[in-house]
Amino acid sequence: MEKSTISETKAKGPTVPSIPSAERRLFLRHLGIFAASTTSFLMACSKSLDLTPTGGSVAHSGARINADGSIDLGAGDIGILNYAYALEQLETAFYTVAQEKTAGLTFNELQILQEIREHELVHREFFRAVLGANAIPDLDFDFSGVNFNDRNNVFQVANILESTGVGAYNGAARYIKNADIIGIAGKIVSVEARHASVTGHMYLPLPGSTYSFGFGTTDSNGLDIVYKPSEVLPVAQGFIKQKLSGANLPTTNA
Amino acid sequence: MNIFNILSDIEKIDGDATEKFNHSRRKMLKTTSVAAATSSLFFAGVLNKAYGQSNTITDVLNFALVLEYLEAEFYMKGMQSSLNFGPDRGLINEIAKHEAQHVAFLKSALGASAVAKPEFDFTAKGAFPNPYTNYPVFLTLAQAFEDTGVRAYKGQAPNLASNRDILEAALRIHSVEARHAGEIRIIRSMSAYASEMNTGGVPAAIYARENNTTHVAGVDIVALSQPKLLFQNSASQMRAMKFAQDSFDEPLTKEEVLAIAGPFIK
Repeated sequence: MEKSTISETKAKGPTVPSIPSAERRLFLRHLGIFAASTTSFLMACSKSLDLTPTGGSVAHSGARINADGSIDLGAGDIGILNYAYALEQLETAFYTVAQEKTAGLTFNELQILQEIREHELVHREFFRAVLGANAIPDLDFDFSGVNFNDRNNVFQVANILESTGVGAYNGAARYIKNADIIGIAGKIVSVEARHASVTGHMYLPLPGSTYSFGFGTTDSNGLDIVYKPSEVLPVAQGFIKQKLSGANLPTTNA
Repeated sequence: MNIFNILSDIEKIDGDATEKFNHSRRKMLKTTSVAAATSSLFFAGVLNKAYGQSNTITDVLNFALVLEYLEAEFYMKGMQSSLNFGPDRGLINEIAKHEAQHVAFLKSALGASAVAKPEFDFTAKGAFPNPYTNYPVFLTLAQAFEDTGVRAYKGQAPNLASNRDILEAALRIHSVEARHAGEIRIIRSMSAYASEMNTGGVPAAIYARENNTTHVAGVDIVALSQPKLLFQNSASQMRAMKFAQDSFDEPLTKEEVLAIAGPFIK
């Protein structure tokens, strides 16, 4: 089975998928900027966070394209970082489309979506830079299941994405070897939790109240949701055109 | 004795704490047997793993327990007061429930090593004179405690790496505190995101270093993000800075948290 690394794939130039025109324009814009601007950062920062392959049963730790075209997230800490990177790509893309397409938003609601979009963008760019040559490629997305004519549906999907993100970061921590990365995941997950509060607030007001908190995100110990990558990836896959593989992600405590 | 570290740390920061310490110590001796007796089988897994853990983990969990005691009592007293919560009552009650659950969970995890609940002064020696008759003051303190809690857990997470079950449990409390912080801020008509710029009347120390944008040396998230913002204009640089600050929450050290919490502990 022949595998090619991401960096080899990228050297041939980014491939542009057949996606609807508005999204396509956005992606073209991103791709163009990306190709020109980030190489030097990647070189500079890969030394400052130790992403040394952690050994184990797989011969590689960075992302790869499998022979069937699916994208392998990689192994060890790099695999977990790619997992987070994929989720941040998804969130950024969702809000990019949502802020453009959602019908009937008030000015305030539009600003809320745009603000969250920019936060997710920062997360995405952070992981892209940290991963450098180990990163998965830019993913393509399909949000045709979202009714952008229904603001409630948009905020509901947003809230699901945010809470899934919270559960994903909470659940990934046990697999992260590098304590610095655990700390960084902590810095991001609490912002995702704030996003969950904001988006939940927008679509599900409690009866007799304008607030949405408490819809089953905590258990009887007051602990938040926690998901394994194997639980999150199928949900995320529903929005992602390429097939992602978490086959080499860690499954035992780091 | 290791379990007194939290209180002796507070003592270091708060000079006249000896009396409190002795008081708490007496209370602790009184209550540990109760805590040990009520630990349910449900927590046995965590309990067994916590038992015999390094001093670090016990210290971190006791540190967290003191903060949860503070939050739980703060909200419980609020719910029992005559404050008019209006449409927020259900939400505040939900938060109160979570904090009480966190106390019970940590006490069970710590078992006989759990510190006793200190006595609290929610006026912080008069700095917030009327939290239980003035709803905006109550909300200000709620925001202060939630955002401090988020930063406190965040700061300790790497110290829990030697026990992954406990690390995960702590992170699951951490994100609940962040949801609370978001909700309280929404009630207050503030941005849901922590910032040094607009603290909403809470002590500035709670947001110290919150505007940091360097998380990995050499990765400039402001410069990386700016060209990809939705709107490119003369304000893009400023906006990129703001989004970079808001999109990462920052940790506080244990010492910083204890300095913030100290005035609320009798």
